[in-house]
This record gives sequence, structure tokens and C-alpha cells, in this order.
Amino acid sequence: MKARTRAAAILLTPFFLLFTAVMVVPIGYAVWLSLFTEKQSGLGFGGAETVFSGLDNYTAALGDRAFREGFGVLLGYCLLYIPLLLVGALALALLLDSALARARRFFQLALFLPHAVPGIIAALIWVYLYTPQLSPVVQAMEAGGIGFDFFSPAGALPSIVNIALWEWLGYNMVIFYAALQAIDRSVLEAATVDGAGAWRIAFSIKVPLVKASLAMVGLFTIIGSLQLFTEPLILNKGTGSAVTSTWTPNMYAYTAAFDRNDYGLAAAASVLLALTAALLSFVVTRLTGRRKAGKERTA
Amino acid sequence: MTRTWSRTSRVIAGTATALAVLTACGGGGDDTASKPNGPVTITFWGWAKGSKDVVDAFNASHTDIQVKFEEIPSGTAGGYAKISNAVKAGNAPDLVSIEYSSLPEFVSSGALQDIGGEFTEAERAKLLPQTVELTTLGGKSWAVPFDAAPQAFFYRKDLFAKYKVQAPTTWDEFKKAAEQVKKADAKARIATFFPDDPTTFEAMAWQAGAQWFKAENDTWKIDTADPATTKVAAYWQGLLDAGLVHKNASFSPEWTGSLKNGTTIGYLGASWGAGVLKGTLPEQSGKWAVAPMPSWDGKPASGMLGGTSFAVTKDSKQKAAAVTFAEWMSTTEEGVKARIASGTSSAFPAAASLRPVAKKAFDASYYGGQDIYALFEASGASINPSWSWGPTTGTTNTTIKDHFGKIVQGGPTIADAVKAGHDATVAELTKRGLKVEG
Repeated sequence: MKARTRAAAILLTPFFLLFTAVMVVPIGYAVWLSLFTEKQSGLGFGGAETVFSGLDNYTAALGDRAFREGFGVLLGYCLLYIPLLLVGALALALLLDSALARARRFFQLALFLPHAVPGIIAALIWVYLYTPQLSPVVQAMEAGGIGFDFFSPAGALPSIVNIALWEWLGYNMVIFYAALQAIDRSVLEAATVDGAGAWRIAFSIKVPLVKASLAMVGLFTIIGSLQLFTEPLILNKGTGSAVTSTWTPNMYAYTAAFDRNDYGLAAAASVLLALTAALLSFVVTRLTGRRKAGKERTA
Repeated sequence: MTRTWSRTSRVIAGTATALAVLTACGGGGDDTASKPNGPVTITFWGWAKGSKDVVDAFNASHTDIQVKFEEIPSGTAGGYAKISNAVKAGNAPDLVSIEYSSLPEFVSSGALQDIGGEFTEAERAKLLPQTVELTTLGGKSWAVPFDAAPQAFFYRKDLFAKYKVQAPTTWDEFKKAAEQVKKADAKARIATFFPDDPTTFEAMAWQAGAQWFKAENDTWKIDTADPATTKVAAYWQGLLDAGLVHKNASFSPEWTGSLKNGTTIGYLGASWGAGVLKGTLPEQSGKWAVAPMPSWDGKPASGMLGGTSFAVTKDSKQKAAAVTFAEWMSTTEEGVKARIASGTSSAFPAAASLRPVAKKAFDASYYGGQDIYALFEASGASINPSWSWGPTTGTTNTTIKDHFGKIVQGGPTIADAVKAGHDATVAELTKRGLKVEG
């Protein structure tokens, strides 16, 4: 027993060391930073003094319309992105599931490939495709009588959603496809014997059987969306688009620290965002946990 | 289950990333250690064209001081963030490049040291007074000015001749010229409004006589609703609404592309733009000319767009050596010559006596041999001396940039963006505990 305890301690030590160094300490430091602010006097040329400010940075962040609007943008993003992602990925997975064996492998790879492109590169490529004077796509659209400004206030959100879809559709398709492959073939055969067509099988048998995957992908995507940063940052920095420097809460923190030099505010915004993520993670874990427990009971 | 785990851990990792952004702020290494008997080594961060050549020339001609140069992204493209992080982390270089507009922000955050003792009155007297004024804050001297950046209008003289358009001298004429250009070629425009770059707009307001940041006694007076700014904002809104200028990000591929294919035939920039155009569009050599900035009353007037100074960071133990090197770059013939001869810089030295040197070193064949330095000289003298920068440039400009991006026909305007920048500035100064009016 003692030997086992020692073995566990030895094996777990590297994990806890790293966990402390790269998780606990940075988070603790951010919380610490968020409690201070810089005050100046006179015209401000005498240098700054760091003073304890309690929760002032938190009230400042929450009181800033730009920060609150960032959460609004995230909400809009989720409402547009998640349904498109789920329906798109599921539709592709169903198509793939009923396709020929050889076509399967090709499409699986082709659709997954965009996910292998780093987000920053993807964003740069799409910025090029969105830019009116450069993009063959925009020019083709204009030739066809469709004028759409991807950088305008109305166009910015769909532009970002489009990039995200391009990056994540294939990835989630693979997840759904794996779930579909796991369905017991005898169920499908029974349905066929009973006279169900391909549509009927897809909607009445396959989709209900992968509902758990659907729910999970949806919920995890919501939480992943909280970190929306790279793609809008590229649209903010490289173009004169309507994507502001505080478009998402993550960008708000970044701008506060690196453009406005206000580390306390940035730390407070980050902590608030982290708390939101933690809360959502908790909800998600509870929901998926309950689902499993429920299943075991009925089994 | 493994998937749940990997996804969950990703979520946690992502949450941590939000926080890590704040803590992973390390800069470059600190190599400022000086050996007791060997030469003093200082580190210098900058991005201005030709910096590497200047450092090489300095190192070759000096045995007592050696400079280690590290190129960083230009200020607002991440350079300033890098500098402030390095200062915070205690591993900043000795000498850094800072534009006049951002100097007060660095001074007020305590990132720099007063160099009044080393950068003497005799040295200061060699430089354009407006630039000395911009580096003297709260009665102390904070940086060695390098260049003045008087505004200038660059245009394609071949296309102007083809479209029978004269180089405008007033803003009224500029608008007429813009109409003529559009009429001659429906796709061509005379210039570009840069929604990503508030400093170009600020330079125009400066030229018109605006004074956004005024320090009076212990109070900042923020004034952006003055007649000059209002006039400039309305003028540019008019150009945008009438579709007389392009709206593209500055130095973006679309801007460069439109210059390349001749759909943008002018550029409202500053002295250093001459080198930029030359470097960006080498194939258009001989087709460009430079004119003074159009003004409101036809008399020479200029704001300043950019312009670099060199400042010593707070923790540097090599202040004297750093100032010596900075002065060498700014006020000696060798320093200026080395930079301009690199071929990419058309900097207009703040040191009056060195402008002939710069002129000689700059190959003006790109501009058909035009005496562009004589033009910069006249523009430089006309820089409105009343403008100064406030300590919240980061906040002011980020806010204006954000709102410039939202400008659409019939929607938010340039004036709205300026108003937003004003409000953010006042709020930021208040938050820092400073007295504000405006």
C-alpha cells in the first residue's frame, strides 16, 4: 500500500508541477493583477503608481459597453454558427455514411483538411477572398449582380462565421461520421426489411441514434466560441473592417493590455471571461453526466 | 470518453489562454551587461527603415560603445506592446524607437528615464524646435528626436497629365481634382481614406489648426469639437459620401494593388512616404512627383504624420552610452548618411544642418530628380507648433480606428468616430486619476 502511494506520488508529480506552473500560477497572477490599477498625478508625466483598487477593474469592465457588446457578439455568433455547423456537419456525415467505400475515404480527407490549416492562416486566406479589389470571389459576385461587403457592420459577423465553418465543419463531420459508423448495422438492416427508404432511415434511425454526439458537439462549440479571437483579430488588424478591437471579450482583454496599457483592466476582463467559461463548462459537464447516468438506469 | 476529456481539457486550456495572454509577456533577453574594460554594449529596438545600416556604421566606427540592434514590428503593429511588456518584465533594451504621438504615453507609464542631463541644450538647438517641443514633457527631456515628418502629397504625374489635372494647392482644388480624376477614369481615385489609421486624419486636423490635447497647469483640456477638426471631418465625410476617394486599409495589399494598377493615383502621406513608395513600387520609377500638402487657405501648412524619436528605458544602466548613440543617429552626418544611403529611407532629419546630407544621400531619380528635400524643408517649417500629444494615444487612436471601421453611407460618420475617441480619452484620463476638461 505504501509502495503504491509512493508510485502514485512519483507518477503524478510531473503533472502537478506542470499544472501549477502553467495553470495555477498564471491564473493566480491574473487575479492578483486584476486587483490593482495605475494612478497618476498632475499631467501624468511623473510616472505611474500602482495602487490596490479592489474590484474597481471588474466594475470598470462590466460597466464598459464595449465589453458587454462583446458578449452580445458572441451570442449572435453562436446563434448563427452552431445551427449551421451542426446541420452542415451532420448532413455531410449522413451523405458520407451512405456513399461508396472509396468516395468515403476521399471526402473524409478532403473535408477534414481545412481543419489542419492553422486559424491564423485560414483567416489571412479569407481576408484575401473578402477584399473587394483583390478577391476573385467578390469580383465574380459583383459580375453576377450581388454586391456584398464582407467588412461592413452587417457583413462582419457572417464573414467570421464563414471562416469558422470552413475550419470546423470537416472536424465535426468526422465525429458524427464515427458515431454513425458505430450504429449497429442490424438495426439498419431491420429498417430496410421493414421497407424504410434512405431518407426515412436517416431521419428516424440514424439521427436519433447520434443525438448524444450532436448535443455534445453543440455544447462544446458554445464554450469554444467564448475564446473567439484569432480570426476577428486578423480582420481587425489587417483591414478597415467593422470588426472592432474589442469585438469579442478575448479581444477586449488583449486590447486593454496591449493597446491601452491597462493590465489591471485586461486581467479583470480575462478573469470574468474565465469565470463565464468555467460556469458553462460546469453546466455542460452536468448535462452530459446526467444523460449518461439516465442511460445506465434505463439499460 | 476520451473525446469528452480532450474537449473538456481544451476548454480549460482555452480558458487559461485568456489569462495566459496577460502573463506570457516575456520580451527578448537582456544583454546590457558591460565589461569593466571592454566596450559598453547597448541594445536598441527599432523598426525605421535603414536602422540596421545605421547600427552597422556606428559599430564599425566606434570602439567604446557597441550596439546590438533588434528589429521589432512597427509601433502600433505590436512594437509598442513589445516594449511595454519588456519594461514591465524588467528586460527592456536600453534604447527604443518611439513616435512622437506615443511618447507621452510611455512617459506617463513610467517606462522611460529623463535624459536632460545627457541630451544637452547644445544638442537640442541643432534640431527642429517643433520636435524638441514634442519630446519635452512636464519640463523634462525624454527622447532624442530623429526625424520630423511634414505632410506631403505624392501623385502620379503621368496620370495627372493624362487626365489634365493640376496638382492641387488647396483642399477646394483637391476636391475638384478628385472629381476630375473620377470623371476621367471611373475606377481611378485621387487618394485613399485609411479607416485603419487615425494618425493620418489627426495630421490633417493638426494642419488645420486643431489642438486636441492641451496641458494647462495640472489639467488636460481635450478639445476635438473645435472648428478646425469639425471642418476636416466634414470635408472627408464629403469625399467619402461622393465616392471621390477609396476607402482601404493603409499599406494593405488592396492599397498597394490599386497603386500598382493605377486606380489610386495619389497618396496623402509624409516625408518618409517617399522611401516607402520607392520601395513598394519600384517599377513606377519616374512616374511620381511630390507636392506640398494642400492647405485650407493656400498658404503652406502642415501637421506631422509619424516621426520617430529615441528614448532610454527606465531600467537601463547605460543611459550615457544610449544617448550618445541616439545623438549620433540624429545629429551626425555619418549617422544620417548611413540611414538614407540604405536606399529605403527618405527620412527628413530633425537636424537642420543634416538635410543637405540627406538630400545628397537620397537617390531622387524615382521622382524624376525632383528636389523633394527642398519641398520637405518648406513643409517642415510650416508644421503647426501648437499641437501636442496626450498620454492616452493608445486609447484615443484605438477607439477612433474602431469607429472608422463602422463608417457606412448614411450610417456612422467620421465626426461620430472623433466624438467616440474624445469620450474614451476623457474616460481614460479620469480613470488614471488625472484632471480633465472636455
